[in-house]
This record gives sequence, structure tokens and C-alpha cells, in this order.
Amino acid sequence: MTEPAPSDAAAAKPASPAAPPTSAAPSAPAVAPPVVVFDRVTKTFDNGFTAIKDVSFVVDDMPGKMEFVSILGPSGCGKSTVLRLIAGLTPHHPASSGIVLIGGRNVVGPGADRGMVFQDYSSFDNRTVEDNISFGLECRGVSADERRTRAREWIGKVGLNVDRDAAKYPHQLSGGMRQRVAIARSLILGPRIILMDEPFGALDPATRLRMQDMLVSLSREAQATVFFVTHSIEEAVYLGDRVYVFSAHPGTILKEMRVPGPTFPAKEMQRKPEFMEIVYEIRDLVESLESSNRAGD
Amino acid sequence: MSETVTRGTTTAPLSTAPSPSLMRRLFTLRESPPTAVKRGVGLLGVAIAIGVWWILTLGATPETRIVSPVVLPSPGEVLRSIPTLFTERALIASTAATLRRVLAGFGLAIVVGVPLGILAGAYRIFDALTGPMSVFLRNIPVAVLIPLTILWFGIDETQKTMFIFIATAPFVFFDAARAVAGVHDRYVETAQTLGATPAQIVMKVLIPLALPDIYNSLRNLFGLAFGYIMLAELVNAEHGLGYLLMTSQRRGLTEHIFAILIVIGLLAYGIDRLLFWFQRGLFPHRSDDE
Repeated sequence: MTEPAPSDAAAAKPASPAAPPTSAAPSAPAVAPPVVVFDRVTKTFDNGFTAIKDVSFVVDDMPGKMEFVSILGPSGCGKSTVLRLIAGLTPHHPASSGIVLIGGRNVVGPGADRGMVFQDYSSFDNRTVEDNISFGLECRGVSADERRTRAREWIGKVGLNVDRDAAKYPHQLSGGMRQRVAIARSLILGPRIILMDEPFGALDPATRLRMQDMLVSLSREAQATVFFVTHSIEEAVYLGDRVYVFSAHPGTILKEMRVPGPTFPAKEMQRKPEFMEIVYEIRDLVESLESSNRAGD
Repeated sequence: MSETVTRGTTTAPLSTAPSPSLMRRLFTLRESPPTAVKRGVGLLGVAIAIGVWWILTLGATPETRIVSPVVLPSPGEVLRSIPTLFTERALIASTAATLRRVLAGFGLAIVVGVPLGILAGAYRIFDALTGPMSVFLRNIPVAVLIPLTILWFGIDETQKTMFIFIATAPFVFFDAARAVAGVHDRYVETAQTLGATPAQIVMKVLIPLALPDIYNSLRNLFGLAFGYIMLAELVNAEHGLGYLLMTSQRRGLTEHIFAILIVIGLLAYGIDRLLFWFQRGLFPHRSDDE
């Protein structure tokens, strides 16, 4: 659920009166508002731990295209916090200070317009593949017949076999298949934003590449902005149209990069010298910034 | 030893030979024996117990036995006394009476305890409200409830049903709450990002995912209730397995006591297996358990 942002966006967040009004807030509603705006967002938990500090970025609407934003960084750099602030999931939501706008609106809580795919516990164990995928439709009150038709369509789209897999339970599926189910379950609802929190982190390298290919093939199916959290530089560069490199303690954006989209299958493209060059560049960047951070301690 | 080192990794050391002998496998730490062996060994355990029993009660006259028949009748005497349990002691009616009381009392505990437990598992504030009370009630010695329930409900059937209800409801409540609270947050968050309302999350996520654990704990608690009812039936009961035990003791029918104990054990085992069989059918996604 999101609600319209009042002209003074900070007014909706009485907990953070210090947050200054921002020029990024939509003042001219003639063009579509950016998909996501983070303006000097800081999250400090009750125990005093600061997950992210002064994170600012704007992701514009790209009509007719599935845009990939890769969020890259070491463990504990607040990557997940960014996703969960967009999703509106506690305890990360709401932000301690700063402004989070989704389509020009404040985040009130989680909703189907911002689907999320997690790394673990991703399928409802008591539901078959088909019933997992149609969960959101069921919540919307879609009829059983239509649910079945649409769920079966999506089983195929994510590369599963309708006849063989529709009636299977999650414990009968491999890790990769379970993630395919989770992705279909999100995309079937036509979300504006898809949040993926290291969805392929637990998969073996070969499966991971196949899953990347599957995601790329789906970009024609869904016009959504994907926020993809990963700690694999290759994955971030391959999938991303842009890459945000985060540093830890506290989490901030080190660098924003635009990278070429996936024009070849994952396995092929990730062997190309130009691809490797970008990967090395990011690796060097991360290492140099981290060593200078350590020196500054 | 030094030879193994010089050979490097080309040869495996003897201790990890691919197929150790069966004897060796059976006495390996935490190694499961084959199913057939497991069953056979289980029967062997029963046979040993009966064998010891048989030896202790061997002898033509009571004087020549190691243990007096008043203390321990022989397996044969217990077996021969079983028909009279049916003809003279109305075993069937007593078994039915006991089961009826347990089912009524425990059924009531389920009807009250499970929904409240689900509520407490789903809403932490309700859990905080009931937490201290739940600990208190679960730690009251069950025997104390006998005089109290007599005071409240008299000495008839109501007392026995309510005794089982009061004795088991706190446990049913607590286990249901724990099962629901144990459902991983990730499922709830996933459902939220798929547009589920709080009520839908309770009905479509929390309850279905907690149900196998709730059922499993109810299965165990049924065994507890079955044990408690014997206690209640020592007081002014007509029929009932506990009542039969007590009258057997008064009349000095030791072989009947043993026969009834065996009947109770078999009945409890049969009910548990029946409930387990239903469990497998009810929760196909958990059919690999146990």
C-alpha cells in the first residue's frame, strides 16, 4: 500500500521532522514520477545499529522495459535494508530519516505492487507449485478457473514443466526450481517493482547462470523495475542496467555505474573480455575504497 | 602410518573402506540399522522382557517361584485371565467409557485451546497477555485438580470430562501458540508482498503451515490425556479402565491388573498409529516425517 505524497513529503513522517524537503520530490506531475526516490535515507535500529546512512538515488520510469538495478556490496552493507524500505517491511521500514518515495508516494506498508523474492523459505511448503504461484490471485479473489489457467501459463514462462511440476510440493523441488516458483508467484501479479534479495545466493554456479538467463528472458514479459541484491559482481554486472556499489559500516552508495545490459546468454557473455573488464574495475574499486576506509580508521 | 602419508591421496586409508561388515555397521555411532534388523531387534527386546518375566514366575507351586504370584503372576496366568476380563468384568464397556471421557475432555481442550493458541501465536500482544498464566497452569500438579474438579463438578461424568479438559487445555494452547509462532517470518513477509491481508495471512499462511506441528503435538498430548483419565477413574467411576484396575487391586486379582495394563498399552499404541496414519494423509507435504 502506498498513499499519495502530500506536497510536503516529510509531513507524513512525524518521526523524522528533521528531514528536509527535497528537490527530488515531484513538483511537476506532468511527467511520470520516478519509480523510486531515496533522499538522504538513514536507518538506525533501536539497538543503535545504523544499517544505511544518507543513501540517495533516483530510479526513473522506463516505460515498456524491464529495468534492472543491481545492488552490490559486502555482507552487512545495508543492501537488504534498501529493499525492505521499498517493500515497506518492518523493522527496516520506516526509515529513521530521509524520504522514500515509490512512484511519487510514501510507503505505508507492503503491497502486491512491490513483489519480493527471498533467498530462503521462498515457497509455501503446504501448497503445490500451482497453488504457490496463484497465492496472490487467491488473495485478490480471482476465480479458481482463472487462477489455474494463469498459474499454468506462468509455470511454463519460468521454465518449469506444467504436466510434471504443477502438482509437486516444494520439498520435491530443487533449490533452483523453488526460486522459479517464487519468481512466477511475484510476476503473475504484474508488480511495478520486483525486489530480489540474493535470490540465487544458495544455488550452484551452473544453476545460477541458467536462472540469470531465465530472468533475462522474462524481461519481455514484465514491465517492471527489478532491484536485485547480490554479492556476486558478475551477476550484478550481467543482469544490471545500472549497478549501485555499496560499502559497509554504515551502508552508503560508493558508486553508481551504468553497464551494458545482457545481450548474450549468461555463460557466453560472462567470458567476454569487455565484460570481465567491468567486473575487474568494480573489484578494484571496492578493494581500494575498503583499504582506504581501513587506513582511515 | 608413515606409508599412508608417502602414498599421498592416491589410496584411501583402510578405515574408510567402501563396505564395512554388517556387524560393524550395527555398532557404529549414530548409524541407523536396516529396517528389517530394526524391527527384528525391537521384537527381540519384547521377547527378552517376556523371557525374564517367564523365568521369574517359573515353578509348579507358588513356593518354588522366584517371585510370588501375588506380586507377579506368570505370563500364562495373565493370558488365561483375559477371557474373564471380557465375560465377568465388562472390559469392552469400560474401554468405551474411558475413550468417551478422554475424547470429550480432550476434544473440548482442542476446541478451546487451538483457536486461542493460534491467536496467541499470530498476535504477540495476546501471547504476552497469556504467557505468565500459561506457565502457571502448565505447572500445576495434575493430581491437585482431582479434589478441585470434584468440588466444582461433583463426582459424575462431568467431573471426569472437565478434569481432562482442565489438565490438557493449557498444553494444547501452549503447543498451538508455539507452532504458529514458529512459522518463519519470511512466509509472512512473502504473503504481505503478494498483497495478503492480515486475516488472509492467518488463514492461508500461519494456520496451514503450523497445522502439521499442531497435529503432531495433539497426538502426543492425547497420550497424556489417556494417562490422566486413569487417575480420574479411581474416584467413583462406573466402568472405565482405571476403575477396573482399582477394583482388581481391591479383589487381589493381580493377573487382571497385568492384563489391563497390556490392554491399555496396546490401545494407546493403536490409537497413536491410527492418528499417525491420518497425519500422513492430511499433510502430504510433510509425508517424509518420522
